[in-house]
Amino acid sequence: MTEIEEMGFEESIKALEEMVKKLEAGGLDLDESLKVYEDAVKLRDHCRKILEESDRKVQKIMETANGPVKEDLDIND
Amino acid sequence: MEDTITVTQLNTRVKSLISDAPGVSDVWVTGEISNFKTYPSGHCYFTMKDSGSEIRCVMFRSARARIDFQPADSMQVAVFGGVDMYVERGSYQFIVQTMRKGGIGDRYAELEKLKKKLEAEGLFDIKKKRKLPTYPKVIGVVTSEAGAVIHDIVTTSGRRFPADILLAPAQVQGEGASRSIAAGIDLLNRAGVDVIIVGRGGGSIEDLWAFNEEETVRAIAASRVPTISAVGHESDFTLADLVADVRAATPTAAAELALRDGKEVLKQLDEETRRLNRSLSYLTDRMRSRFQVIDAKLSPKRAEEMVAMKSMTLDRLSERLITALRAPIETVRRRLTVAETKIERIPETMIPPRKASLDALADRLESLNPNNVLRRGYSMVTNEKGNALTSVSTIKKGTVISVRMRDGVADAEIKEVRKYDRD
Repeated sequence: MTEIEEMGFEESIKALEEMVKKLEAGGLDLDESLKVYEDAVKLRDHCRKILEESDRKVQKIMETANGPVKEDLDIND
Repeated sequence: MEDTITVTQLNTRVKSLISDAPGVSDVWVTGEISNFKTYPSGHCYFTMKDSGSEIRCVMFRSARARIDFQPADSMQVAVFGGVDMYVERGSYQFIVQTMRKGGIGDRYAELEKLKKKLEAEGLFDIKKKRKLPTYPKVIGVVTSEAGAVIHDIVTTSGRRFPADILLAPAQVQGEGASRSIAAGIDLLNRAGVDVIIVGRGGGSIEDLWAFNEEETVRAIAASRVPTISAVGHESDFTLADLVADVRAATPTAAAELALRDGKEVLKQLDEETRRLNRSLSYLTDRMRSRFQVIDAKLSPKRAEEMVAMKSMTLDRLSERLITALRAPIETVRRRLTVAETKIERIPETMIPPRKASLDALADRLESLNPNNVLRRGYSMVTNEKGNALTSVSTIKKGTVISVRMRDGVADAEIKEVRKYDRD
């Protein structure tokens, strides 16, 4: 599995769902189950982090002679 | 007393009435041009008319500069602007802000033709509609940088699942708008956004016309990224709405469609967590019960039970053994009794052969009697106690011995002892 920290939300929550299904299906021994559980909890925390620590960018992009250029966009509330 | 007002006052009142009146400003008006004149100042004066009525129109130089064709008499046009009172002349006129060739009627006919053409190409095919990404990382927006649209989208998305916003500023009305929109869509596709919102705020159907133009529609259809149209016009669908993967009524709705509610996502996470814990506790329960089964088998109590069980089995077995053996033993005992009875009845005639052999044995015993040897001329030497002497080593000079012969005993004293060399 990719390093959890680098996973996007969608990838993470999909992986999380997979793990839950795997656990629910049974057939794993206790050690394997605990490993899956551990990873699943990590993924869940990662998802939560993405949700709660949003530092989103609001930018505009423009075509210039040197190709597309992005700059921050100010939106007055 | 009646109030008296001046002509100027009257016309000024009318002017303010007109300027406050609904429906006569910011409207598109279609008709035919007549008496078109351009003055040296650059302002244009003409009359707009249809079969039933006419109105004087003024298009100032700044407005004239915005249109890229030469208006002329008899031309069917649509003009945008509002009615204003010309106080000095006591007449009212239409102030034209912009002008398009062709009346709205013509444009609808053209639109219908274009719609049929694109429909035949399958651009509006419902099967072509793509699903929006569930968790987009970057939302592209093609709209005017100045309008309320980008503001609404940024504000709304701030309350939703976190995503970056990337605006491709575009001209959304007037000449060149569709080219600008198409360029924005292409630019965002290259920039790698996850979904594109194309739109503008509400306005008249004329304002939204760029979203009915072929260039815009084809650009949306060509987008590799799923698209949401957000053309703020509830009653009319533009072609952009038909071709986009999803249609939103307003920019705010578009942002809500693009991004899930953060709270809902959290709820889903909680649900996953619940399922996770449930399956783990199910697993541990199962492990525990399996362990209990094994543990019970290993417990001392269980061991006692097992020993008891085994000994019960043993008891049963030995009982069966005894039962099984009882019959043969009885048989053997019966046969033994019969045999004893038979032995008691053995006749005397079977005894003589045994007596004869007994006599033979007595003869053989008699032949071993030492007295018989003495009779044949041998003597037996004993010590005083009567024990036979068989070796010279037990006697020495002076030892008193007895010599027993056939008919008596002679005591003697040893004079000398000579031992044979060979022993």
